Amino acid sequence: MNWFYPCIQAILNGLLTGALYALIGMGMALIFGVMRIVNFTHGAFLMLGMYVSYVFFLKTGINPYVGFIVSGAILFVIGYAVYMRLLRRIPGQVDFMVILLTLGLGLIITDGVQLVFGADYHQINLPLLARNFRLGSQISVNAPWLLSFVIALILAVLLYFVVTHTMFGRAARAIAQNPYASPLMGINVNRVQAISFGIGAAAAGIAGALLLPVFYLYPTVGSQFELKSFVMVVLGGMGSIQGAAIAGLVLGVVESLTSLYWGNEWALAVDFVIFILVLSLKPSGIFGSQRA
Amino acid sequence: MRNRQFIAASVFFLLSLAVPLLVRSDYTLQILFRVFLFAALGLAWNLVGGYAGQLSLGHAAYFGVGAYGLALLSKAGISSWVSLFLGMVLALISAAIIGLVSFRLRGPYFALCTIAFAEVLRLVAKNLPDVTGGDVGTQVPLLFTQSSIKSFYISGVLLTALAFVLTAWIERSKFGYYLMAIREDEDTAMSVGINTSHVKLWSLLISAAITAIGGAFYASLFLFIVPDQVMSIDMSVEIAIVPMLGGAGTLFGPLIGSIVLETASEIFKNVFQEAHLLIYGVLVVIVVIFLPEGIAGTIVNKLRLFKKAPAAPFAAQVPVRPEEEAERTAFRK
Repeated sequence: MNWFYPCIQAILNGLLTGALYALIGMGMALIFGVMRIVNFTHGAFLMLGMYVSYVFFLKTGINPYVGFIVSGAILFVIGYAVYMRLLRRIPGQVDFMVILLTLGLGLIITDGVQLVFGADYHQINLPLLARNFRLGSQISVNAPWLLSFVIALILAVLLYFVVTHTMFGRAARAIAQNPYASPLMGINVNRVQAISFGIGAAAAGIAGALLLPVFYLYPTVGSQFELKSFVMVVLGGMGSIQGAAIAGLVLGVVESLTSLYWGNEWALAVDFVIFILVLSLKPSGIFGSQRA
Repeated sequence: MRNRQFIAASVFFLLSLAVPLLVRSDYTLQILFRVFLFAALGLAWNLVGGYAGQLSLGHAAYFGVGAYGLALLSKAGISSWVSLFLGMVLALISAAIIGLVSFRLRGPYFALCTIAFAEVLRLVAKNLPDVTGGDVGTQVPLLFTQSSIKSFYISGVLLTALAFVLTAWIERSKFGYYLMAIREDEDTAMSVGINTSHVKLWSLLISAAITAIGGAFYASLFLFIVPDQVMSIDMSVEIAIVPMLGGAGTLFGPLIGSIVLETASEIFKNVFQEAHLLIYGVLVVIVVIFLPEGIAGTIVNKLRLFKKAPAAPFAAQVPVRPEEEAERTAFRK
């Protein structure tokens, strides 16, 4: 039974991380589904969310588990503005150009933050960090991870509800289904796309805020999560938000098990190998059937 | 017009070769080497990304394989120029594998797949310290023993000239027209009998070979490489930004892009210090919003305004009818 408890522990840790991945992936999937663009600014948005709640924590002392609301709100406004001011102006929205624009924007945000805050690593200290819940004799759960898991799960369910049960969600799904017929049905495509981009950015920002207590903070922190969100979106079926959510949880568990048996440094490599396999064997994704 | 272009290019390259006679400062020569190196890399990328319209964001893979090929093979006792050549062969092999898998995909899927391959290579190089030196890095032999920076500069110019002549030749050949046909409409290209996967793969192979040689030069100048430097996604992005800034799918675009980008980054290096990529981002956003066909593309269009109808690459597309869109994306289902 020596292998049993570490394995269960790893799966549990993977699920806890996976909920945050799911939030990041859902934001990306919403943007991809509604706009058919790959958002290379996603990592920068996540990093920005981290810095917002970091500054908020330093100024007011309110911890990120409440401060994530501020991150989410600010990132929503930024995402909305980016769409309205920049993305909308690309004629015909050729995906080549959109990818280039989001790449450039990501560079501006990342290096702008580096200019303001410097490239140093930061970390915040909460009393909560040392708290652990024990389940039985062998398994323990770290309190901040559990808290962020619960918050991320609630938000993910909320986002799913918004997409499936509101007028906005219906309009978003209509655009994803057919971008040419939906304006004829009276949908304000620009507005819906701008709100979707805002929500996607907010999801990344909130995930960043929730990661702040358990992660180091530096300007390029977002890029690894951005790469993972690509993996999730492809794994879940491009544009399916529930697919991306499940893919996030699976990715968390796979990474955790890889770290346990093969070493932490291989986790990301395994992600990409899965990604290439899925892209070449089943490009419609594994978990998603219906597009968001 | 074409003759005039040819003469202009010849004069430009001959003058560039004469620069070391006038410029004595090693520092300036190193910057100029960078300009030509990225012009060559941009020209190489342009074959796949510009002419064939396949947005590759994984060229760091070939760059890195070229760099590591030179470093590791010469460490194993092979002479440095032979290892440069073998590194190029390795890059060709990896390009063949990457191309076979990723060219089955289109649009953003293709871009993501190339990123994934480059990242896998980077992580493997990082995680096998016994072979590659891992994160600590590995030493690279100097390719030129005498007056090295001058020799690097000359070889940079020659590599660019080679890539330029190759591009000019491809642009007028049947092969080049195949590539452009694929960019404009891959399904139509296929329907008129172009073996699109073959043509795309060949363009990637040519591109990867030049990129690998560029990577080897770059590594040899710095004498020391780490995976996060030569195989990072930042390198892929930089290689792609150069031609897109100048004008993707144009002959002079990568040259102009490299001159503008490297000069700007040199000027702003002292202002922004570590945040030197900021200026790349600003330039990219300006170009996408105001000059969507790149610098050279916009100039060419302005000149053509008085002649025939423009056929610039990456102009705004007419919205596709839904049923066409459904056919194009059919492979997803």
